[in-house]
Order: sequence, then structure tokens, then C-alpha cells
Amino acid sequence: MATDQAVRPGAQPEARPPRRRSGQRTRLWGTLLALPTAWIVGFFVASMVIVVLLSFGRTQADGKPVFGRTTANYEALWNDVYLQLFLRSLGYAVATTLICALIAYPVAYAIALYGGRYKNVLIAAIVVPFFASYLIRMYAWSALLSDEGIVNSAIKGTDLGDGVQFLNTPYAVIGGLVYGYIVFMILPVYASLERMDVSLIEAGKDLYHGPLRTFLAVTLPATRAGLFGGMLLVFLPALGDFVSAQLLGGPSTYMIGNLIQQQFLEGQNWPLGSAMTVSMMVALTLLMIFYLRGTSTRARELQ
Amino acid sequence: MSTRRVERRPAAAVTITVLFFAWLYLPIAAVVLFSFNSVKSLSTFEGFSTRWYSDFFHDSTLITSLSASLLIASVAAVASLVLGTMLALGLDRVRSRSGRAVGAVTLMPLVTPEIVTGVAALLFFTGLSMKLSLVTVMLAEITFSIAYVTVIVRGRLAAMDPQVEEAARDLGCTPFQALRKVTLPTLVPALLGAGLLVFALVFDDFVLAFFTTGVDPQPLPVRIYSSIRFGVSPAINAVGTLMLAFSALLIVAALLLPRLFHRRSSSLDLITGGERR
Repeated sequence: MATDQAVRPGAQPEARPPRRRSGQRTRLWGTLLALPTAWIVGFFVASMVIVVLLSFGRTQADGKPVFGRTTANYEALWNDVYLQLFLRSLGYAVATTLICALIAYPVAYAIALYGGRYKNVLIAAIVVPFFASYLIRMYAWSALLSDEGIVNSAIKGTDLGDGVQFLNTPYAVIGGLVYGYIVFMILPVYASLERMDVSLIEAGKDLYHGPLRTFLAVTLPATRAGLFGGMLLVFLPALGDFVSAQLLGGPSTYMIGNLIQQQFLEGQNWPLGSAMTVSMMVALTLLMIFYLRGTSTRARELQ
Repeated sequence: MSTRRVERRPAAAVTITVLFFAWLYLPIAAVVLFSFNSVKSLSTFEGFSTRWYSDFFHDSTLITSLSASLLIASVAAVASLVLGTMLALGLDRVRSRSGRAVGAVTLMPLVTPEIVTGVAALLFFTGLSMKLSLVTVMLAEITFSIAYVTVIVRGRLAAMDPQVEEAARDLGCTPFQALRKVTLPTLVPALLGAGLLVFALVFDDFVLAFFTTGVDPQPLPVRIYSSIRFGVSPAINAVGTLMLAFSALLIVAALLLPRLFHRRSSSLDLITGGERR
């Protein structure tokens, strides 16, 4: 807009142009923000609001869900069966998070510090299968562990026994969750190890004598942010998962995700399903707040 | 500094890493191997055969599902690329309080468990009396993918020198011209990478598609899921192998793209956002 700049006789050239520019710009950036924001508010936020509203609704005699102002759905959730199922899901998700941390940390450590020029190739070798079909990978496990799968036929072949029933056990479901989400732990831990100054480890070895003490006093605190972030990224999807329990487990290992899915696609009690969804989100949000508070105070104390 | 550090590798960490890679690839290798089995068994390999693949290519329902999934992924990739880039540019420049609030809201789909997004989308479309179809799947997938694009593009923007755009403005460009002629071309590798990644993610996505799809045609992952529930079979192994191979190819391409443009850039820039300025 050359004309704009021409109509400024007598203005101080140092002061005016930046302000004009920033005004023009803010309008452009604001315009850019408007459409995607409207899209996300229109779809995502609005749909979340509908879930909350319907959780206070009821199912009509003809099976149609209608909005209402009853808390009956939440009261229905407050019983031993559902509470037990919720605690089970929580237990599976916590176990998944801890196992992921125990496996992911050494893997990220070995690659970041000893990967040399193969670092990127190794990380890519982890990332590629993880982002390629979650469903097929879960299927792969169920095929491997099924009664007629390779593992069981190997056991039968060696006369060790009549085979082991892997599927329908909590181990299979938790194993599936770890397999499904561990990449979300490896990447942030790897990134924080990469950013770390390795000479710190050197100094730690001189100071503390011994790799274990060095690790606990130097390496672990330096990569705390990555580890905590990774734990959150694993925990969130693990708690809401239903594919692992569906393919590798059974009714005795169902998680809250299976229950929600049943209400919407099999049981057709949408208001109850909405109440379950809202309860899960509230629990997740509370856990996240406590978690973030706890980890940030600990980080502050350490500084 | 590195010579002393490497003197003794932590044997435990290296062992765990080797075992981890074995654990990661074993089930996948089994799926691929048994997709070429000439008999129906999932535990003994009798001989090489491509019969399960030819079954797949002659199954019209599966082919319809495949093309539905390709269509959904293409539309979602293009639309979320446009919306996500607009959002990233806006968020990068609007540093006010409201800008940050918008940033937080738009990242919510990333931290929400997918089942919640799925349920919410199902209720939303039903509430609007929209018939569930491929269109509803597309709308849900676009909404979900915007955040991915935004995160990737913002990472790239953070690594960019703001003075380049300043220079274009000094040379008489309007803000929009500076954006179109300077900033966007610099973003091209990141945009292509993000597009490929979103395409692969949406093509494979099961949960959102499961909640928002109509009866016919169904996206491929939904179709596969319903056949898995009736038990494992070599035919699913063949479809699974094809899906894995196709997605792996897309993701490798997405990771390698930045290298075509800048020889020194790492293939992981797409995920880590590259070095910060």
C-alpha cells in the first residue's frame, strides 16, 4: 500500500511507520485466526457442550435421547459395578504409564547418548510403525497371542504344556496399551536428553562417583520435564482406550472406554454414556491439575 | 568430552533397547509373514502365496472402503492444512492474552482422549439431524487434524528469522504480500510434511471414524475392525500388511521431505520442530 505511506506529510518517520504497520498486521493475523477458531469452537467446543447437556437428559420410551435436567444418569453411575470398572481403568492406565516410563527411558537414553550417527534412523524406526495403523498393531498382538497363534503353538510344540491363555487377561490389555502408546513417552524423553549438556554427566561422575548416583543426581533431574510430559501423553489416551481391551481382553478386563462405546453403539443409552464421558473428563482434568501442580512445585524446589 | 563418555556403555540400557526393537517389530513381522501363507493357519507357514492379496483386490466392499478412506484422508489433509496454517500464523503473531486463550482452546483436541472426541462428534451430528456418512467422518477428522498441523507449522515458524519478513515489508510489500511471497514459500517443506502426516494419521484412524461413519461405505479401518471381531484370519493379515506398508511409506516420506529442501536439516524436524531461534 504505497499510497498509504505517501499521505503522511510532516509525520515523524521514526514513530509512525511501526505503529501503522502493526495495526495493519494485527488485522491480517486476526483475520487468519478467525476462521479456524470459528471452526474449532463450532465443532469441537459445541459438541463438548452437547455431551454435557445430554448427560442431564434421559432416554424416551421410543429409545430417543432427549435433553433434560435430571441427575439420574450420574446417580446411576454411582454404584459398585461402575466404580470398580473406573478404578480398574485407572489402574491399567497408571500401570501402562509406569511400564512405559521404565522401558522408554533406557531406550531414549541409549539412542540419545550412544546412537551416534544412527540416532535419527533409530528414532525413525520407532516412529514409523507407531504412526502406522494403531488398529493393525493391536490386531498383530491378538494374532500372535491367540490360542492358535505362534506363541501358543510353540509352547505346545515343545511339550511344555497345553499352551497358555494370554488373551482376556489384564496383562494382555496392559501390554497392548504399552505397545500402543509408548512412543509418546520415548519422544519427549529423547528430546530432553538430546537438549541436555552431556558434560554434566561427566562432571557428575567426578563428583558423585558411580553411574547410578550420577544418574539420580544429574541426568534424571535434567530430563524431568520430558519424563513428566511423556507420562501425561501416555496416561491420557490409555485411560480412554477401548481397542486394546476389546481385541486383547474380554468383559472381565473392560475399561471405561468399552463401557462408553457400548452405551453409544450397542446399548443405545446415550444420556448415560454422556454422563460416563463427562465423568471421565472431569476425573482426567482433576488428575491433570494435581499432576501439573505437583510436578511444577517439585521443579521449582529443585531450582 | 565424548571419548571418555563412550568408554563404558550402560549394558542394561542397550539390552533393553535391543529387546524393545524386537518386541516392536515381532508382531508386525508375523502379520506380514502370515499374509503370504498359502494355508489358513496363523502358526505354521506352509508355503508362499499371494492368494489373500488377490482375495482383497477382488472384494468389492473392501475396495469401496479403501477408496472411501483415501477420499476422507485427502479432504482432511487439505482442509486441515489450510485451517491449521492460518491458525499457526495467527497464533504466532497475536501474542495478546486473547491470542493465548485461542491457542489453548485450539489445542484441546490434542489432549482429549479420542473416544471423547468421537462421542461428542456423534452427538453433534445427530443433534443437527445430519445423516452419518463419509461427510461427517471428514468433518470430524478435519477438526481433529487442525491441531496437528498447527503444532508442526508453529514449530517451523519459531525457527524462522522474523527479519526476513521485515525486509519484505521494508521493500514495500503489504503484510499479505510478505506472507504470500516470503513466509509461505519458506513453510512449504513443513506444510508438505504435515500434510503427509495428517493424511497417514487420518487414513489409519479408527476411533473417530468408528463413531461418525454411516453404514455404507465404511472407512477401511472400521471395516477391518468389524472383521477382526469375528476372529483373526489371513485375509486381515493381507489388508493389514497393505495398510502398514502404505502408511509407513507416507510417514517416511513426511520425515525425509525437509531433507530435500535443506540438506542439513534433520529428518526429525517435523516432530521436534527443528532448532529454535
